[in-house]
Amino acid sequence: MATLEELQARIQRLDDIKQIEQLQKIYGYYMDYGEWQKLVDLFADNDPSVEEADRGVYKGKEGVRRYYIDLLGGVPGKVPRPGWLSIMFQLQGVISLDVGATTAKGRWYGMGMEAKPTTSLHEGELRQTWISGVYENEYVKEDSKWKIKKLHFNLTFRTPFEDGWLKVPVVGQTGPDSKILPDEPPTAYSPYPSGFHLPVSFKHPITGK
Amino acid sequence: MDLDSLERQVTLLEDIQEIENLQRIYGYYFDSHQYDKVVDLFSENAVSAEIESHGVFNGKEGIRRFYWDDIGKKSQTMPPWMIRLLIIQIGGVVSVAPDGKTAKARWQTWLPEVMPSAAGPRQVWLHGYYENEYVKENGRWFFKKIYWNCTFYTTYETGWMRFPMLGYFPFPDSDAPPTAFHPYPSGYKVPYHFPHPVTGEP
Repeated sequence: MATLEELQARIQRLDDIKQIEQLQKIYGYYMDYGEWQKLVDLFADNDPSVEEADRGVYKGKEGVRRYYIDLLGGVPGKVPRPGWLSIMFQLQGVISLDVGATTAKGRWYGMGMEAKPTTSLHEGELRQTWISGVYENEYVKEDSKWKIKKLHFNLTFRTPFEDGWLKVPVVGQTGPDSKILPDEPPTAYSPYPSGFHLPVSFKHPITGK
Repeated sequence: MDLDSLERQVTLLEDIQEIENLQRIYGYYFDSHQYDKVVDLFSENAVSAEIESHGVFNGKEGIRRFYWDDIGKKSQTMPPWMIRLLIIQIGGVVSVAPDGKTAKARWQTWLPEVMPSAAGPRQVWLHGYYENEYVKENGRWFFKKIYWNCTFYTTYETGWMRFPMLGYFPFPDSDAPPTAFHPYPSGYKVPYHFPHPVTGEP
């Protein structure tokens, strides 16, 4: 029979998994509404990083701030233009977390519907798109709270609603920004139809490989 | 509460978590064409796999034939354009049996794909419901049975109402024909494994 301490540790792990799932889903809701400062505040203080699609890797808390507030947000306090839409479902999280651990990994699908300009981040005609990709993220417990240590969204397609992923796999990705520079180039940008699949972080639940 | 009942409660929550992971991981292996790893998610005593109109495949050997030989063509390498972009596994309702040794779950999937056709690659939407069974052996959860009932399989350009089903695709080496293949707009309801949570009625 399990001891009370063992049971406490097992409950703690389940509780941690739920908190990490909530963290990722809340990340999605803040992204939907472009709440850039709230997004930055979800990241760890210690050595975080963010990389989405072909924008490159932004490192450190300052890099994370530069990415969300300066790059995605534009000038501080900028109001999203009328018609701007960003919906991204945070789906199917598999959280890898050992009993007693304070770091974790999670794989998710991101899939959603957007209305955004595709010639640049902020300017140009709005287009309705389907977007899809895979997250492989890392989390850390700092000061007894789970935070995002590393966020990596690997784009599979971002296609005009009128065309679909077979005809036009990607619009609106033009590489790293030339003014608000990333710290490193994109590490795994390879959308459809490359056949690339972002490697999984979890071990096979049966074979352990 | 005594430690025994507390441990049973903790174990139940762990079981649900592991089964949810198993089903989601199935989706991630499926989208990346790792069908040998999919087969390894099934118990040696697994009952069957049945997907869409391909028919029923019985036992671990049948399940290997279905995923690895037929779908995977005995390889993890597929033409890059022929891609199962994402195999979304959502809406899981997991019911663990009172003895903690078996479980059932309902899920749904909605997915974009690119599949071959006589006219060349074709972009498609699919939707359907799972009613799956699981078994715990040596402390680990395995698939015992996968059953996926397809609601629609339509081209991107036409949509489910105008063109619900691209065709009927029985696999010649299946052990039995599909058990309940009634896509939209038949009105067919895939039976729930669970009772009504409030009234207890089926």
